[in-house]
Amino acid sequence: MSQVKSVMAETGQSPSRKNRGKLQISKSQIVFEKAGIYIIALALIIVGSLVSPQFLTIDNMLSVLRSISLLGMVVAGAAFVTYIGEYADLSIPAIIPLSGIVAVFALPLGVVPAVLLGMLAGMMIGVMNGLVIGYLRANPILWTLAVVFFMEGLMRFMMSNNQIYPDVSPGTSGADFIDLYRSEILGIPTIVVVMLVLLAISHWILRRTKFGQQAKLLGSAYEVAKTSGINVKRTVMIAFVLTALSSSVAGILITSFNKTGVYYLGQGYDFQAVTAIVLGGMTLSGGRGSIVGVLGGVLVIGLLSNLMTFMGVHPFQQKVVIGTIFILVVGLNQYQLRKMGKDHG
Amino acid sequence: MGNFKLSRFVDSHRALLMLIVVFVGLSLTAPNFLNSYNLTTILKSASLYSVVMIGFALIFIIGELDLSVGAIVMLAGMLAIGLEPSLGWYGSFAAATLAGILVGLVNGLLVAKGKIHSFIVTLGMMSIVLGVMHIYSGGDSLSTEDYDLSDWLDEAKIELLPPIVIITLCLVLGANFFFNKTRLGRGFFVVGGNKETAWLAGLNKDRYIVLAFVISGMLSAVGGALFSMSLAAMPANVNLANNTLMAVLAATIIGGTLMSGGKGNILKCYFAVLLLSTIFNGISLFGYSYDIQIFVNGVILALVVLYESYAVYKQDALKGQNPKLLQSMLRSRER
Repeated sequence: MSQVKSVMAETGQSPSRKNRGKLQISKSQIVFEKAGIYIIALALIIVGSLVSPQFLTIDNMLSVLRSISLLGMVVAGAAFVTYIGEYADLSIPAIIPLSGIVAVFALPLGVVPAVLLGMLAGMMIGVMNGLVIGYLRANPILWTLAVVFFMEGLMRFMMSNNQIYPDVSPGTSGADFIDLYRSEILGIPTIVVVMLVLLAISHWILRRTKFGQQAKLLGSAYEVAKTSGINVKRTVMIAFVLTALSSSVAGILITSFNKTGVYYLGQGYDFQAVTAIVLGGMTLSGGRGSIVGVLGGVLVIGLLSNLMTFMGVHPFQQKVVIGTIFILVVGLNQYQLRKMGKDHG
Repeated sequence: MGNFKLSRFVDSHRALLMLIVVFVGLSLTAPNFLNSYNLTTILKSASLYSVVMIGFALIFIIGELDLSVGAIVMLAGMLAIGLEPSLGWYGSFAAATLAGILVGLVNGLLVAKGKIHSFIVTLGMMSIVLGVMHIYSGGDSLSTEDYDLSDWLDEAKIELLPPIVIITLCLVLGANFFFNKTRLGRGFFVVGGNKETAWLAGLNKDRYIVLAFVISGMLSAVGGALFSMSLAAMPANVNLANNTLMAVLAATIIGGTLMSGGKGNILKCYFAVLLLSTIFNGISLFGYSYDIQIFVNGVILALVVLYESYAVYKQDALKGQNPKLLQSMLRSRER
């Protein structure tokens, strides 16, 4: 492990000091690289408070947090897949409804077993992805897309295109289940707390555990990680299982919010997650970025759509704006990294 | 050794062989499968996917990814219908194609000159193009009263072959000739196989990448415009974009195109499109609905991905066991 750590120290933690003489990296560039997404978030808040006095209120900020919390949960796990250089897990739209449907089916057993079974069902997809992508080295984009298709087909067929409703009469476990999304802890919505806890755990895993260190090396250079004795297959597998776990937590809460379990609940979360992760500074080539940055990416998406709603921008136009900003920010970020000699792409 | 060659033959012609097996199987079992009306239906339903597939496969061959094809199909379809009253069919078709070319040009420039990953560029572009499409149509489906063209496109002049199928076949065969026989076409394979080698061979890789995205955008637009012209209407449901992307992606992979670039054959991919269309047709003939279609599509795609990665896995496992290689390594160490 000491070898790994010394490699890490050279490649990851402080390359700027080493290269400073040659490449003349200014301080502002480093600040932009480390905190760029939060600067954008701050700019959005300033613009928002100029647009409307109602923007910078506790109520509105809380509603922004609530609107991003589900996406935040998803990216807490999904970020690992990008971090280890496997692009993205596009099977999230299958994991989310599956865990919700299984949880609703298991509700007669009680809320806690239902939630656990739902997470287990979602995790099975993660294990399958991990086996195929980690051990057989299948292309992650193609494989996870295939999983989405056949899981959606399977769920629709099994339930003959219908939804499943939990029994929500008071006093039953169904009532407790739909309260999951709506409850509050000390005045803060539970979902926001869950998101923050999941992100904190992810941050800890990424920065403080052996798996996190191995993931960084794996994302930076697959062959190097392999030859330095890291069990690369297992590491890839763990990343996909973590994605599935966090997505199934989100899936159960989405189902609790909608009061129904149905195959289309996860639609759009795959691309939103990629957008947030990459906006947050994780590059598709892997091994770069942090969970704090990814949280910034999620925040920017939430603030942006909230701000545009305040300004009366139509949802169709919002799509155009978000797509443009996505390409621009990622392009700028990569340009900066190239200029600093940190990216070969 | 003979065994090895057979498996290789089966692998390289898998799309055609699977198509034959499925076709024979359905002819024997499915009701109303083997008649000219149904066969024309299959060919017609394959036409949108086939035209889009040509560009999509080209992007694969050059080693990139284009997720925006489905969105371009929808934008071009909307433009072709929406502009018809003011510009006429020729004008609206040209405008739709031009829009596709423009989107492709922006994609290509951002990938080649902006050096942004094509996954990112086309993902963002998909959102932008779908947004523009919805703004243009106001979120509604568009239709036209002028059915002459759609009747002409759909009515078989020669047995089995209505004009829309003939146009598709011409495009597929033309693209096949272009990519296999011309210098410019072969260049895409060189660039996709190894960008460094292409550069050393004097090919301008940036120009090839931009050209590939332009062709992909143009063909997606042509496919979308033809689709809406033959319907005389264009639905606004985004599912059309997703389904197109899904089917085209599956067909391109089944057709043996490598995602890492440098390998692919348009004709084989066309057989894969026909395979999927035939399977979808058979499923609906048996009275099953859309859920079974996407399930089967997903399973086929998953099996092909699994099969290919297993082949690579086996190759990798044998990598270190080459006795000649081991000997030469030992010799070099002694030296």
